[in-house]
Amino acid sequence: MVASSRASLRADRLRVLNAPRPVTVDLDGSDPVAVWLSASDRSVVDAILEVWRIDDEWWRQRIARRYVEAVLEGGARVVFFEDLATGHWFLQQA
Amino acid sequence: MALLDPDGRRVWQISPVARRIGVRPGLTISQAIGLCPTLRLCEPDPVHYDAAFARLLAALNNVSPVVEAAELGRAFVGVDGLGRLYGGPKEQLAALRAALAEVPGGHERLGWGMGKFVSWVAATRAEPGAAVIVPRGSEAAFLARQPLALLPLDPDTERRLRLLGLHSLGALAALPEQAVVAQFGALGRRLWRLAAGVLVEAVVGMERPEPVTATLSFFSPVADREMLVHAFDRLLERALADPRRRGWRVRLLRARAELERGGSWLVEIVLKDPTAERAVLAAPLRTRLDQSPPARAIERLAVEFAAFAPGTTALDLFARDATAAARAERRRALRHATREITLRLRRPMLYRIIEVQPWSRLPERRYALIDFES
Repeated sequence: MVASSRASLRADRLRVLNAPRPVTVDLDGSDPVAVWLSASDRSVVDAILEVWRIDDEWWRQRIARRYVEAVLEGGARVVFFEDLATGHWFLQQA
Repeated sequence: MALLDPDGRRVWQISPVARRIGVRPGLTISQAIGLCPTLRLCEPDPVHYDAAFARLLAALNNVSPVVEAAELGRAFVGVDGLGRLYGGPKEQLAALRAALAEVPGGHERLGWGMGKFVSWVAATRAEPGAAVIVPRGSEAAFLARQPLALLPLDPDTERRLRLLGLHSLGALAALPEQAVVAQFGALGRRLWRLAAGVLVEAVVGMERPEPVTATLSFFSPVADREMLVHAFDRLLERALADPRRRGWRVRLLRARAELERGGSWLVEIVLKDPTAERAVLAAPLRTRLDQSPPARAIERLAVEFAAFAPGTTALDLFARDATAAARAERRRALRHATREITLRLRRPMLYRIIEVQPWSRLPERRYALIDFES
């Protein structure tokens, strides 16, 4: 017998790129009005460009996200999403 | 207990208990279950068998440079000229046994004889872990006692030989050669000569260019056909760009997959016209994907160029090869720099971005970082 061919040689050496980063978002109803990029850096949302939803992997651990692409005060463009299962917000490049 | 064949449609190997109940290799699943309702069916793991056989061939190669893989689990070793190195047949078999001891398993059956057929029949007569030697000159006497079924017969020829009352190789060899040729043509001549031990087929060593493999691990198992087709395209691209492929066209293409919750999927494609064009290589993979798709979602996918034909037919391929050579040179320089950095800082600081699931709707699944030297 040889070692199982199912042994992964590389998966454990992979580092996730563009992993979601937790952020705090101030809401007005369901609309984001400000994003806390750090504990002392509150940026006001100037405009919301686009909102879309992703539902995936319903057959295992369901993933449901509401993405928001927004322009912050000062002109920075950011993308963040709400994890609809937990209600937590994350920053991520889409 | 029964093991299904790599297509997962028929019984391949069976346990002694299943054999006693009447289950036989080659039965369909429904036939086998009909005979034995409590039969436990096991799915095959062709990638595992392939890896085990590759190790076995590599071990045999340590003893002789001439090794021929006849089929999964059956290999021939050319021993001409090895007498001075190892001694007689017993010593040669001992050398093979010692080499095989490095390979986990230890149930190989060995046969020594003149030509492939005699040595194979000898191996089939050996106990697991043991060997049978057929001394030179005694081939006909040894073969005479063996059953006719050992010949490479199609079912129709076997039936006709049995109707003639022939049940052993000796009975066939006792007939005049011309009479067998008159009945069975060129095939009859070959069968008669094999049965009489006068046809000595030499071992043909394998051409052994280094295989080129490209692999992809999915964060979450993938079953969607379009995604798999896309993954195949990317893997083929990577494998074709490998500098070791330079100057070679692909003759044997393998695709392997590790499946969710265990098991594996393997397809092997022999190209009549060897090629180095991605589209031509991808077409038969797609066909196989449609004809016999994996039983479950795929966790890890690999494409392997296992055999090659020399040269390229298209001029532009040489240009592509020159680009590949330049890229390989840059990669070597970077690798050297990375080693220096790792030596000084004790951790790798250079990473490569690789595509993982570029089609994924989840951004973090699309790309990943991997150590540059990986």
